[in-house]
Amino acid sequence: MEELKKAIVEFCESGKTKTKFYFKDIEKAVKDKVPGAKTLQIKKACSALINEGVLIYYSTGSTTMYGLKGKGITEDH
Amino acid sequence: MAFEPKRPQKKLDYQELRLFTDEELKNYTEEEEKNFKIKHDIPELEQLESGPWPSFVADAKRYALRRRKLGQDNLLINQDVVEDLLGQVELSYVHGETHWKHGGIVGVIGYGGGVIGRYSDVPEQFPGVAHFHTIRVAQVPSKFYDTDFLRGLCDLWEYRGSGLLNMHGSTGDIILLGTFTDQLEPIFQELAQVLDVDLGGSGSNLRTPECCVGKARCQYALYDTQEMCYEMTMHYQDELHRPAFPYKFKFKFDGCPNGCVASIARADLSFIGTWRDDIRIDQDAVQGYINGEFPPGGGSHKGRDWGKFDIYEEVINRCPTGCMSLEGGKLVIDNANCTRCMHCINTMPRALKPGKDTGVSLLFGAKAPILEGAQMSVLVIPFMKAEPPYDNIKEIIDKTFEWWMEEGKNRERLGETIQRVGLQRFCDVLGVPPAPQMVKEPRSNPYIFWKEEDVPGGFKRDINDYRSRHAR
Repeated sequence: MEELKKAIVEFCESGKTKTKFYFKDIEKAVKDKVPGAKTLQIKKACSALINEGVLIYYSTGSTTMYGLKGKGITEDH
Repeated sequence: MAFEPKRPQKKLDYQELRLFTDEELKNYTEEEEKNFKIKHDIPELEQLESGPWPSFVADAKRYALRRRKLGQDNLLINQDVVEDLLGQVELSYVHGETHWKHGGIVGVIGYGGGVIGRYSDVPEQFPGVAHFHTIRVAQVPSKFYDTDFLRGLCDLWEYRGSGLLNMHGSTGDIILLGTFTDQLEPIFQELAQVLDVDLGGSGSNLRTPECCVGKARCQYALYDTQEMCYEMTMHYQDELHRPAFPYKFKFKFDGCPNGCVASIARADLSFIGTWRDDIRIDQDAVQGYINGEFPPGGGSHKGRDWGKFDIYEEVINRCPTGCMSLEGGKLVIDNANCTRCMHCINTMPRALKPGKDTGVSLLFGAKAPILEGAQMSVLVIPFMKAEPPYDNIKEIIDKTFEWWMEEGKNRERLGETIQRVGLQRFCDVLGVPPAPQMVKEPRSNPYIFWKEEDVPGGFKRDINDYRSRHAR
């Protein structure tokens, strides 16, 4: 789980201009980094990071993205 | 088997929940309403009041008066929220463009859905709607509420939100329209802890499952839609609240092919009640309809004289597959060719009933037109038994989720993924044999790609051997 969390945070930090990411993009990056990682485990790791306050959800209402708290839009705009 | 809730059900008492007195709830006179002007000029909106139907503008103005008389001391967000809302909508009419900004970081702790951020892009002009977030509250199956709950909810929303709500949104949720970010968490706590209700779905997750009125009030329900909807809602809680799908996903449960929740048009996975034995026929009742003893359609068209009931004109010739006939005065149905349109059963409910071996059909892929045109669901599994704990159905759902999460592109609905990769591939994933009815049109692609297992004796192809003779 810790390895997955680290990979997720690293991916979210790597964005040069992007600060919000689709789950599928996170999933792909993590699977590249941690071979054998399962989608459900990655989802659980994302949820854990949300609960820890490291990640935040960004929702348009119809779709949802993930981002690092403090990076890009994080408060009311 | 009697329904058993998964957790104790709370009995609510409005007298304990209430936040406003009766006087506060009816706090203006007709005279005051007649003379009331909101703080903005809204001629464009007021034009809408001139039509023959009740107008949301008149409702909103009436409610704006109520909020003004309640006073800011009794409300936690701006008392002028409704007046500012009308003002901003008026401005949008004048400019011909919206002044809302959608999306953002709003939500409640641990939830990735249920709250949709909305902000004004002219907040200085309309401070009451600087934030105007939507909250989706999960409806109970078939929307059977008691008034204590509804009144408690209205009081809460009036106190902490705009007081404006929508019963119900397209997905069935109660839509609470407009509050500020600092009220989201307290509202959620009140909803969950006091009113004993959860948030609905929004974003890339499973949306609040919805069902028809089912066996509670309908003779046609072929499975217990409410129980199945409840079970699936509880079983897929993680998918409902923690979004990780490529896009939204909707379940809807129709008890019979009449489709009162229109699952076939709206749900990525539509469950429609069906039967696999024969339609039950009461020949005496058929004669009764022919002789005019019973009104057709359960009397639903009694308002006008349509003449004598003609079984050929109204039933037999209307059968879309022509599987009905009258032989020697007896109604005969070729059940193998029945497509479950329900017309004959709806027209002669005394004489015809669905079979007794009932279950559900599973159809996949309906959606509204976003990327391509609107799509109806495609029948993939014609019949499954639908009995608790629904493990057979959950197995299909799990396979669907797993495949779509793998194959689906960002912002692609299941129906679009199926369209892109082909229904045959989806059938392979579910382990369902293709049926002739799934073929929409003759093939236009002249190439047939055989799989090894499709060809008797199989075939071998070594790509490395091929590449040794052919450069890439």
